[in-house]
Amino acid sequence: MKKEENSKGNRYGMVIDLDKCTGCGLCTIACASENNISVLYDESDKTRNIAWLQISMVTNGKEFPETEVVYIPRPCMQCDNPPCVPVCPATATRKDPNTGIISQIYTRCIGCRYCMAACPYHARAFNWFDPLFPEGMDRYLSPEVSPRMRGVVEKCTFCHHRLMRAKSKAYAEGRRDLKENEYIPACVEACPTKAITFGDLNNSEHTISQLIKSPHAFRLLERLGTKPKVYYMSTKNWLKRMADNYLTGEFK
Amino acid sequence: MEFNRRNFLKFVAGGLGGTLLSPLPWKLIDDIAIWTQNWAWVPVPERGKFSYIKTVCTLCPGACGIQVRKVGSRAVKIEGRSEYPVNQGAICPLGMAGLQTLYNEGIRWKAPMKRVGPRGSEKWKEISWDEALDTLTTRIKGLRDKGVPEELAAIDGNQSRSTMALLIKRLLSSIGSPNYLRMPQEEDTHTMVNFLMQGINGPLAFDLENTDFILSFGCGLLDGWGFPGSMLSVWRHWISDEQKKHKTHVVQVDPRASNTASKADIWLAPFPGTEAALALGIAHVIIKEKLYSKEFIENHCFGFYDWFDEKGVEHKGFSGIVLGKYSPANVEIITGIKRRVIIEVARKFASAHAPIALAGRGKGTFPGSLYEFMAVYALNALKGRINTKGGTLITDDVPLAPWAEVEYDSVANNGLTKERLDRAGTSQYPFTRSLIHKFTEAINGNQSSPVDTLLLCSANPVYTIPDNQSFIQALAKIPFIVSLSPFMDETSMMADMILPDHSHLEKMIDIVRPTGIQYPLYALSQPVVKPLYSTRHSGDVIISLAKRIGGSVAGSFQWANFEEAVKERVSGLYDAGKSKVSWEDITKNGYWYTPSHSFGEWTDIFKTPSRKFEFFSTEIELALKAYSKGLRPVGAYALEGKSFDDTLLDLGIRSKGDEVYMPHYEELKSSGDKNQYPLLFLPIEFINLASGWIGSPPFLNKTLFDHQLTKDDLFVEVNPKTASQYRLAEGSRAILQSSKGELSVRIHLFDGAMPGVIFVPFGLGHTAYDKYLKGKGVNPNEIIDPIEDPLSGQPVWWNTRVKVIKA
Amino acid sequence: MEADAKKPGRLKMDGWIFFLVGLIAALIVGWMVFPLLLYSEKSQPLIFSHASHGPESDAGLDCEECHFFYEDGTFSGIPGIKKCMECHEDPESPLSENSEEVKLFTDYVGTKKEIPWLVYARQPDCVYFPHIAHVKMAEIECKVCHGDFATRKVPPTYKLNRLTRYSIDIWGRNIAGYKKNTWDTMKMDDCADCHKRKGKENNNACFVCHK
Repeated sequence: MKKEENSKGNRYGMVIDLDKCTGCGLCTIACASENNISVLYDESDKTRNIAWLQISMVTNGKEFPETEVVYIPRPCMQCDNPPCVPVCPATATRKDPNTGIISQIYTRCIGCRYCMAACPYHARAFNWFDPLFPEGMDRYLSPEVSPRMRGVVEKCTFCHHRLMRAKSKAYAEGRRDLKENEYIPACVEACPTKAITFGDLNNSEHTISQLIKSPHAFRLLERLGTKPKVYYMSTKNWLKRMADNYLTGEFK
Repeated sequence: MEFNRRNFLKFVAGGLGGTLLSPLPWKLIDDIAIWTQNWAWVPVPERGKFSYIKTVCTLCPGACGIQVRKVGSRAVKIEGRSEYPVNQGAICPLGMAGLQTLYNEGIRWKAPMKRVGPRGSEKWKEISWDEALDTLTTRIKGLRDKGVPEELAAIDGNQSRSTMALLIKRLLSSIGSPNYLRMPQEEDTHTMVNFLMQGINGPLAFDLENTDFILSFGCGLLDGWGFPGSMLSVWRHWISDEQKKHKTHVVQVDPRASNTASKADIWLAPFPGTEAALALGIAHVIIKEKLYSKEFIENHCFGFYDWFDEKGVEHKGFSGIVLGKYSPANVEIITGIKRRVIIEVARKFASAHAPIALAGRGKGTFPGSLYEFMAVYALNALKGRINTKGGTLITDDVPLAPWAEVEYDSVANNGLTKERLDRAGTSQYPFTRSLIHKFTEAINGNQSSPVDTLLLCSANPVYTIPDNQSFIQALAKIPFIVSLSPFMDETSMMADMILPDHSHLEKMIDIVRPTGIQYPLYALSQPVVKPLYSTRHSGDVIISLAKRIGGSVAGSFQWANFEEAVKERVSGLYDAGKSKVSWEDITKNGYWYTPSHSFGEWTDIFKTPSRKFEFFSTEIELALKAYSKGLRPVGAYALEGKSFDDTLLDLGIRSKGDEVYMPHYEELKSSGDKNQYPLLFLPIEFINLASGWIGSPPFLNKTLFDHQLTKDDLFVEVNPKTASQYRLAEGSRAILQSSKGELSVRIHLFDGAMPGVIFVPFGLGHTAYDKYLKGKGVNPNEIIDPIEDPLSGQPVWWNTRVKVIKA
Repeated sequence: MEADAKKPGRLKMDGWIFFLVGLIAALIVGWMVFPLLLYSEKSQPLIFSHASHGPESDAGLDCEECHFFYEDGTFSGIPGIKKCMECHEDPESPLSENSEEVKLFTDYVGTKKEIPWLVYARQPDCVYFPHIAHVKMAEIECKVCHGDFATRKVPPTYKLNRLTRYSIDIWGRNIAGYKKNTWDTMKMDDCADCHKRKGKENNNACFVCHK
């Protein structure tokens, strides 16, 4: 368990305030655009398409006009105790000791999809097809993220290249330490209502370390022991109850 | 020595040993491993210098500041500009995916094209720009030679105040055609309200940033309403942690649990089309409980109390009518909202520090109902929220320098005396500037088309206008259609010639006072990348066209190119603000504005005939009476009584008496019969699905749920109770049939949908564009059977009735 | 034949000659023929002399003049034609009598085409290498990885690996992968070893160098 604490390095995490999330989808689009994610002609095929950050839509189950819709953006949870890592036979996915981010090396991946089976959050996607950037759209591909090939698994990296970008900038300015918010993933930057807070969970000065102490903070499927570094916040009890598989009467 | 089997084996063994002692196998394994990673068809993005170009997104009139990240000469990512006054970092999904409109070769015209097959056969031949411009010039010159310049028409989707729109309008005027049509939008209705109640000819503005209570009558504030980037940034401000102490409360009126309704503090769901009654019910409570602003009502309003005209005739005031007709009990019957809730919301609205009542529908892409918008706006007046901080604002225009007057020759003068084909601005539709469905009717109602040549600019009416099938019929009759669209959209597929524009990131273009923004702001975009194809800026095309036509037309276009035309207007800004600015400053920043608002005195700001805020609109009175006069010979017309009421029925106004000059509730009869078509068909809009003239980019498809689109099937939202009446289950296939046609859809059961209503999203069902869009889902416009909104004449698109047939 | 076969000593020798022939042939193929087959030689578009541009030369340019860091910390790499034109601006007044400069003017400056340099150190797309972390922060000299380019009069022959499509300098010019100098090979192991040697083992986490 000591390994998970990762007390020396950074432990990047995210808090998503579901009361602030309006379901606009910008995080998904910013992510796709930042990370050279390919687009299928039929994106409605959710078993074949690729999205590093998917949005789930849930309702409180009440009848009209008491119905309420809530959206849950789901990036990779970057678990402190990741179920995907030990199952990889090719050592293609690891937990980075410096950042706590779960890496995925596409050139190393053999496409067995054990990690996908192991991940309880469906955060990973498999390239069933060659990446599709047809007719000129390969011109917007960013060299900061390597495009994937058919037959490998990919997933959210917390925009790791943005960490490298921020570090290079800091180095250019003669600094080694990053300021808060100097490195944020594309989805955090894009969120128009600032529903997502990003930072170092090991740094008590970062806003996020305070936010996760809130009584409204929770994680998805917390009782599996995966220790996700992506937290959610909501004042709605019905929503919190949805975050894990509780027996009747068990929640609160 | 014999090379026998034994020795051969020795040779092989030696060879094997030698090979193992050489680097060959190890090196080969390593190289092959790398070789397996090199798939020629997996793109390797080219590296280069990273840079950011700051500009403005002009995909809609919202004018969000964006910065485009570039690698070398390629644009790779669009982000919001946090220092831009309009949107402060927030942009909308379409803007974020803007690179897919730039680089997607499958949707862009790459050069001027001439149709070679029959219309719609999509057979094209590339032509030179010279040939294209010559063809059009000859055509227009021919019309002028025949003395029928009015047979040239243009449909323009550019923002009405932008330089592009001004140029196109100027071209038509100088040629001599009054038939300059604009795509309908919600701002049209707001502008009419502003004119009728405040006497000001311009869009309404709302100080949303400083309000603490929003009463939204259907505006999809979080569903892409009006100016999504700026709206989202305002919402962020409302809910920010710093704002928690005086949080902005949102009351959303919506027939469906939309994103906005779900995030609102109170959600009200009246029967669609009864929003005006709800507003007046709230007004009733405010008036009855004397919660209105006495200072404003008593000193600066006309028509609130009963009054006498100069002939001594008594007229009912707004308060009298509202108190008489719109009691919460009555309104409950009309709207289905409990009287208790109406009273509660009215009190909350009245007791808020800075409340705003906002009329609108969905994204605000289409016009609203005039009387309804007036009724909602009246709530602002009741609380004296006109031109105050956190209220509605009466803003100055952007002080752009005017161009020289248009030069008219005799042909032009003669042409301009002809009546517009859509009859907008005539005594029948006195307050409306453009009526595209009447234009359609005028063409379809004639044996031969009264339009010879049609220009289309930044518009895709074949896809976007309600009842698009009638429009398609009209297009088929027009002899020559020219599209200036950069995209292979539905309308350009019906054209005879394409003069493709640059895409938004390849050109400079301006937006003057972005929709809904609370201060005079001028936004100017910058080219981010060099034009990829042989396209031309439509502004330059218009100018060179005018020059080719020659004479007074050329005389009206003295600029060498579009940039010069913009520069001339912008020159008015250099000294207009607090500090001097230059052209370079404005192009660098991408904007010019005066942030502080001068709140004029209530005594000075209203430009109505009474110089007051008018609950009783003198302009409407003058217009209706003038219309009645125009119908009958002198002396035989009536200005009141039964004959007058019958005249009003022509205009769709069913109310009688003084009410017709005031905000009131008109029950809009649907064109479909309730027994035959028992369900209401209500198009809805999603922020993450572009439904305007620009097709939704592929990235947006990633955000659609599979209960919205699965393969090519569009899902419509139906309340489970309604669905069970028709034995429809989740995923059932069904046919929606209206008097205009039918759509094949699948059913999604949604608790948040009002019973008896079928909600169908706008934005899918394209018949053009590429494989990412074409053929996915259906387009609600195909079966909308619009009726005319009373007085404004705008098409009512939310009132179609349908029946469901289980497929 | 049978008589020959009965001679014990010769029999042994006879057989092993075949073995030796096989062994030597394989060694020749493995050490000499294979490299010839594996690599194709390509010549740089221009014969650029670092020696006549560098700090010791008449031109006296610092390395950073052309190979500099941008403000955001990214490395400029090989300069574009614009940089060349800062000095080689006018074809009418060349700076030297070198035929390569004439080529520069006619083929590239005149046509505004970038020079398609062949990059010896080009890594696969999945590799992320921040020069600034190594050059500025760790103060590693250029030649530690690239060799002493600054004094070269003629660029080395570019050898393209036909299989991998990368330069020979990644694996190293020695076919056995034998490494004498730090700059001889540029494989992942070289990065990892150096990180380890310098006590930066944490930097061997996958995402530090992969993207």
